[in-house]
Amino acid sequence: MALLTVTNLSKKFGGLAAVADVNMHVEDGELVALIGPNGAGKTTLFNMLTGVIPPTSGKITLTTATGTISLLGRKPYQVAKLGLARTFQNIRLFANLSVRDNLLAAMTHRYTENFFAEVLRLPAYYHKEAKVLAWTNALLREFDLVDVADYDAGNLPYGTQRRVEIARATATAPRIIFLDEPAAGMNPEETAALMKLIEKLRTDFQLTVVLIEHDMGLVMNLAERIYVLNQGKLIADGTPAQIQQNQAVIDAYLGGGVHA
Amino acid sequence: MQTFFQQLINGLSLGSIYALLALGYTMVYGIIKLINFAHGDIYMIGAFWGYYVINQYHVDFGVALVSSMVICAALGMLIEYLAYRPLRNSPRITALITAIGVSYFLENGMSFLYGANTRNFPQVVASHRFTVFGVTVTNIQLLIVAVSLLLMVALQLIVQHTRMGTAMRAVAVDQEAAELVGINPNHVISFTFGLGSALAGAAGVLIGLYYNSIDPLMGMVPGIKAFVAAVVGGIGSIPGAAIGGFLIGMLETFVQAIGLSAYKDAAVYVVLIVILVVLPAGLFGKNIKEKV
Amino acid sequence: MAARWKAALIWLVIAVAGFYLINELILLGVINSFIENMLVTIGINIILATGLNLIIGFSGQFSLGHAGFMALGAYATAIITEHLGNTLGFYLSMAVGVVIAMIVAVIIGIPTLRLRGDYLAIATMGAAEIIRVVLNNLKITNGAAGMYNIPALAGWPTVYVFVCLTTLMIVNFARSRAGRAIQAIREDDIAAEAVGINPTKWKLSAFVMGAATAAIGGSLHAVYIQTIAPSDFGIMNSISLLIIVVLGGVGSITGTFVAAIVLGVLDTALQSFGTLRMVIYALALILIMVFKPSGLLGRYEVSIRQLFEKKGARHGTADSHEPQ
Repeated sequence: MALLTVTNLSKKFGGLAAVADVNMHVEDGELVALIGPNGAGKTTLFNMLTGVIPPTSGKITLTTATGTISLLGRKPYQVAKLGLARTFQNIRLFANLSVRDNLLAAMTHRYTENFFAEVLRLPAYYHKEAKVLAWTNALLREFDLVDVADYDAGNLPYGTQRRVEIARATATAPRIIFLDEPAAGMNPEETAALMKLIEKLRTDFQLTVVLIEHDMGLVMNLAERIYVLNQGKLIADGTPAQIQQNQAVIDAYLGGGVHA
Repeated sequence: MQTFFQQLINGLSLGSIYALLALGYTMVYGIIKLINFAHGDIYMIGAFWGYYVINQYHVDFGVALVSSMVICAALGMLIEYLAYRPLRNSPRITALITAIGVSYFLENGMSFLYGANTRNFPQVVASHRFTVFGVTVTNIQLLIVAVSLLLMVALQLIVQHTRMGTAMRAVAVDQEAAELVGINPNHVISFTFGLGSALAGAAGVLIGLYYNSIDPLMGMVPGIKAFVAAVVGGIGSIPGAAIGGFLIGMLETFVQAIGLSAYKDAAVYVVLIVILVVLPAGLFGKNIKEKV
Repeated sequence: MAARWKAALIWLVIAVAGFYLINELILLGVINSFIENMLVTIGINIILATGLNLIIGFSGQFSLGHAGFMALGAYATAIITEHLGNTLGFYLSMAVGVVIAMIVAVIIGIPTLRLRGDYLAIATMGAAEIIRVVLNNLKITNGAAGMYNIPALAGWPTVYVFVCLTTLMIVNFARSRAGRAIQAIREDDIAAEAVGINPTKWKLSAFVMGAATAAIGGSLHAVYIQTIAPSDFGIMNSISLLIIVVLGGVGSITGTFVAAIVLGVLDTALQSFGTLRMVIYALALILIMVFKPSGLLGRYEVSIRQLFEKKGARHGTADSHEPQ
């Protein structure tokens, strides 16, 4: 049973089909890439998977320890609690909060806090806070963010902000992480570091990764399977080697998708 | 049925005043996202100017109206230049507090200079009553509605068919893009304040004539009601503000007519909240969803 | 660990010392009843404005109806102490006022907190006006005439203690799980939702917390002033509280203290100027905003704990952030 299954998923904006009849599945522990030209509907698909926009039709199901559940009709925060975390194409950090607080905020649903313990600073509060701070410090080390932990996230360089955003998504203790163009605007060294980081998400955090990316070097190197979207439709899927040979994909990228 | 039409007439008269004020709020908000709290006080200044020129120079209604519009337009532009322009890039809540400061300044400045007492507005137009099918209408009510409609049509023509109007709409949509095509946003914003304040000045003279009494704090409550009208209509929308103004005016008179005058303000706010909950951008506003 | 206890201890010492200082100055006659009155007004304003700052500055929700919640606390106290005019009655009435304010905040908040920015401001302002109109027309509240002869059950010491208590609760709330959640929503609600934060729940929690402190402020106001009327809780009163928050710096509790004190002193100092007082006040307000757009203190906070920990400066930017 696949971890995440998408069946006949469609999204229409007015009369325009942004995503049409997409079927895909993501296995536990897999690294899947979603590629396609600009405007192909990749981010729209991500937005549906994470509950930001409701699909017009179709199904999204997630396999959990207690069985298979539908993600339809769930709000983004509910989807996040079920273990689907994401980053955004145009970085969305909590700009005026420190990096540490960015991570701490992302752990809100992972523990509870008694109101009175909180405002009266009872021992229970310090106990909980110490535990959460330990989680945070571990993440800061893993993502090489210790030096900037007390800086406001919005004041950091671009590459670091991307890293903070991925660390923040990881802080929600997800099972699947969706990365929306993580390498956008990065130079080759930063991209190389990002590739290591994504590998780390899989090996050290045992995360399933779904990735939207235009950097073909990164995609072909990392992805186990690739889905290709063009004008809202899935035109191909397969291993990197298969995708590189696929005529429909080559046409979509070179010729404006007349075949699609 | 008779009382219904009677209240309709009363509501339309009051509603035109709200509509004229709401237009100023909606234009300014549409262009710089500022709740111009001082707008109601410009209307007060307009009323006082009318009072002054009629008593001092014995001018007729038309001259009082037009001169009040000119004075208020100048005042509005001056306030924008001195108090709001330096805050163009500040947090919006700062500009809002400044607007509140300007409002306090105008209210208390007038009280300080001319006293806080209420005074009678000169009856420059003799009042006549007509009774048509049992419904009483005064010529002043007709005058208010006619002048207001005339001004609204004029405003619509300016906004839709002049170069400045086009520039206003452009700046409201995207200030930076408007700048790139050679529009000076400062001129446009200044013009918008002038236009809105002129309408407030006209409303001030009209209300003086209608209620026959003016005082330095007279702008506070109608100002807030007119802002509510603009929000109900969909802030940023000119037809929305006009319709919102008439709606609020009529709602108030009808609630009063059924004997609940103590609750007329509450009724206005209940309608406001219900409309916002159902239509978060008001009746004619565009609900812009953030792109993810 | 040690720094935490030291900081807490120093705050306690400061609070106790402040109490004794005021007490001594009153005994010495330096603080006369006029100044004492000013201090109490400042204290009540601090209680009200820190709660509003939690809503506006920390959760980023632009509420303009704070006086409505204050009214609920004040009327609860006025009505209950009419029948039970002792200290017990006062604290009971305060608790009742707080509970009522919290319930009303939930009723108002659930539909309106979905609104953004100025729309929320105008809706909360409307809700507060509805509260005021209702108080204006009920028999039990004695209508527009209001309630008078409320027993004097709180002097400056009670107000002082409540200033400390409510500030402590609000600061602790803001610097905990709840505080981080509401600040995350303020910064970016879409991102906050994407990391599992339920925006409605947390926005509502800040709103309810702010309403509760406003009710406490209202209760104290009622027993100190001893006369209340619906007109004391109008739009202009909500705006006065908003002014304190913005003038001090949106999101800075220290700033709220400073602004409440500055405005309180200014108000008293200008007392003899008559009508001119409000003109000067208005001009001061405009000038401060034009020359210091992020408020007197921006987002700065006094922190004794950081003095001890001395770990590199916390890099907060000085600009305030507007509510969404």
